[in-house]
Amino acid sequence: MNERMDPAPTSCGQATASSSTGRPDAAAAATGMPTEFPAGLRVLLVDDDATCLKIIEMMLRKCHYDVTTCSCAATALSMLRERKGWFDLVLSDVYMPDMDGFKLLEHIGLEMDLPVIMMSADDHKDVVMKGVTHGAVDYLIKPVRIEPLKNIWQHVVRKKQFELKELEHSGSLEENERESERHKRAMEEGDNATSGCGENLKNIKRKKEGKEEDEQDVDDQADPSQTKKPRVVWSSELHQQFVTAVNQLGIDKAVPKKILELMKVAGLTRENVASHLQKYRLYLRRLSVPQHHDRHDGPFTSAQEATFRSVGTVDGFDLQALAVSGQLLPQNLTALSSGSRRVTNTGLRMPVFDQMGFLNSGNASSTRSASVQQMNRGLSYFSGFSNSIESRQLGQSHQLVEPYGNVCLQVGEEISGLLNIPSPQATRSSLPGGISNEQVNRSLIMHMSQQGQQFSLSQQQENFHGQPLPRGQIFNGIGGHDSTKFGHQMSPNAISSHISGRTANIAQTPLPGNHINASYSSVPQALYANNIHDSCLTESAASHYPLASSIGDTPATGNVEALSNTSSLKGVTDLSNCNIYSELHQNKTQDWKLETVNISYQSGQNLAPKQNNADFGSSLVAHQDSIATVQDESSRNTCTVRKEILSVTTEIEHEKIECVAQCNSTILVENSIRLKAESMPDINQQEVLYDNIISNDLMDVGKQIPANGKGQGWSGTTPIHLDMDHSS
Amino acid sequence: MALHFSSAHPISALHPLLCFFLHDTYPEMEYASGLQRQLASMKKNLFDQGYLDEQFYQLEELQDESSPNFVEEVVTLFFRDSSRLVANIDQALQKYPQDFRRLDNFMHQLKGSASSIGAAKMKNECTSFREFCNKENREGCLRSFQKVKKEHAVLKQKLENYFQLLKQVGPVDKATHSGN
Repeated sequence: MNERMDPAPTSCGQATASSSTGRPDAAAAATGMPTEFPAGLRVLLVDDDATCLKIIEMMLRKCHYDVTTCSCAATALSMLRERKGWFDLVLSDVYMPDMDGFKLLEHIGLEMDLPVIMMSADDHKDVVMKGVTHGAVDYLIKPVRIEPLKNIWQHVVRKKQFELKELEHSGSLEENERESERHKRAMEEGDNATSGCGENLKNIKRKKEGKEEDEQDVDDQADPSQTKKPRVVWSSELHQQFVTAVNQLGIDKAVPKKILELMKVAGLTRENVASHLQKYRLYLRRLSVPQHHDRHDGPFTSAQEATFRSVGTVDGFDLQALAVSGQLLPQNLTALSSGSRRVTNTGLRMPVFDQMGFLNSGNASSTRSASVQQMNRGLSYFSGFSNSIESRQLGQSHQLVEPYGNVCLQVGEEISGLLNIPSPQATRSSLPGGISNEQVNRSLIMHMSQQGQQFSLSQQQENFHGQPLPRGQIFNGIGGHDSTKFGHQMSPNAISSHISGRTANIAQTPLPGNHINASYSSVPQALYANNIHDSCLTESAASHYPLASSIGDTPATGNVEALSNTSSLKGVTDLSNCNIYSELHQNKTQDWKLETVNISYQSGQNLAPKQNNADFGSSLVAHQDSIATVQDESSRNTCTVRKEILSVTTEIEHEKIECVAQCNSTILVENSIRLKAESMPDINQQEVLYDNIISNDLMDVGKQIPANGKGQGWSGTTPIHLDMDHSS
Repeated sequence: MALHFSSAHPISALHPLLCFFLHDTYPEMEYASGLQRQLASMKKNLFDQGYLDEQFYQLEELQDESSPNFVEEVVTLFFRDSSRLVANIDQALQKYPQDFRRLDNFMHQLKGSASSIGAAKMKNECTSFREFCNKENREGCLRSFQKVKKEHAVLKQKLENYFQLLKQVGPVDKATHSGN
């Protein structure tokens, strides 16, 4: 897919040059002379009204775009998931019978990070505002004329530019500001371009932009050092350098500043090192007191927050730590990761879950190995996707861990040990969102564990926190915390939840048929959790947590998302959502095969989905902004997640209390596992997203699945730091 | 070839002249031009009387050699779906108590479609229906819906006539264009 996308980016480069002078491409296209760009722009058109669909399709063809039509949102989502990276832009109606256009918008934003343009005959300001806040790049009022359609390519270019820039820079606040300004300017230009929509729209757009800016600013203020910083992916090499530096200084005397100096790595900031160090410390502590997971919760939580910020590091770190400890089997990691949403997408998850299940069976070692194997297998799948990239870097087990890492981490040190995530890269959480999720999950897990609930997670959380869960992997985090516990409950839960695509984990709305698709979004798992619900796929009633918001929420509940999502996963393994918690909620997923799933775990998770939703909803409300931002930018996701974590954790705790040990989670787990198995085959292709997340974990396991996953997850626009980093 | 033009043509006065020049070589053209005029005036009426608006022009612009009947296809599609929708609304209106939310959704859909093809009058009636709906004015809704149905039926008939005429004119057009 990347390849496919390449022409666009390159032509974008050319186009941008020309676009500044006007819209020669559009003009050329209009005159019937197809140029390199924007002709051939791949647009997905979604509208339930056949008449409108036909008309707009014709208009788009007149603009020389490559149009694919869809009259059902669910189909559209599955198509997007199946062909990750294939589409450049999505045009969707707002009012559709099977799914609200805004929900679809959220899903797409979370999972595929594609620019989405909304359309509607409804021109009320509040509806248009809603579109803006949900992340739509534009809002067209019906009847749609061809003029505004001629300019929709600008949104693609803008997004790509924005993301590239985000990736390139090491993320200084200034940079972000500049970025926002550019973005803002671009938006304004975009406004002019779509003037056909009317003055109102422009004003609204400006407002939206302003709002976006504000949100960004808020993020910036909230985490000055972290907002919009490109995620730093802690590759194994980088981590090695880090460890060397730390050892040189002595763990007690190792301060970020000195470490940074010793490492002599360009582009690395003190903050990156600091958060990574924090994680590392946690990891070490976890290693030294493997049984005392609970204790880690406290520090973990805080650490979490810190770590969350550096998306990349968190995940990578943990995995690394895990890998280092050698305790966590790569497989486990993967499994863990798979637990997280991301995993669910790919079939990998499935195996992971299965493994998790094994782990749960109590024979830590035996199951572990079994699970590890599974995980490895699963990982291999993943590696196919994006993981391969990561895995390469990770080197081994932790590849999978990455995405799962979060989960795994949660499962416990054990897992981490197993996973041995060689390279922190995995944790890199290439998925911006993912990382956040991990963190969130971790923190959530921590909380959970603190509650004393039997969540194995809680214990694992301790372990977990050290490890940044790959994006969204956090779901897995649940399981990940207690490596020891890993064997039990956690894994299955996490996994199952993830896999079953139950909403909880998979933020990525598992596609019924395309697990993989779902997982793509591995990025903010938490986010996905929401998505998953939404995905028309099916939502089982489970209280889905709004994905967007879930990011924040889910992490803590990590699974909360998953839970809700699980419902959506009809059979999709999307569960990958780390939000194992969410999965628990899902209870609905009767299919969960994993019996072993800890009830307690589940209980935590089972928190009445409704409750969870409600809880989260409220907690989320506060973070709406952050979430919204998340949607817009993966990097923001991370930030958002962080914030959410705090709120989430409280939620989780709340939920935990509420949840009574329910067997639901078990079911969920089972489902996930089942799903995993099913999805496995599919995953290879799709889990591009997972790559990011899982790659770390999978590295080991998988064989570097063709890096297609690498950038594919994100319709070519993923800020895959993975690509950059792990292509080592 | 004999002149087939009826004297009702606005420029029938010119016909003899045209015939004189063209009737032997382009008899179809004469016929066609008459029909074309008829078609043109029909179309003008539709716009003047507000049945259609600018959006309809947009549709026509989309039509080209690769999709020569695009406008007709779209209009046919519209009437197929809208008829079904109108029937649904009719049914929904019979229910008691009234589900205004549902009615509004239906009408929103209908309005969206209608505006896409440029059915101006229909769109306006839909808007007023929605207003009654928002106020939960059942009587108002019923009355307004009758108007919607009427506009729907009238437009359907008019456009059917239009396309029929268009078909007649079309082929002749091509023939004449080809120089035969």
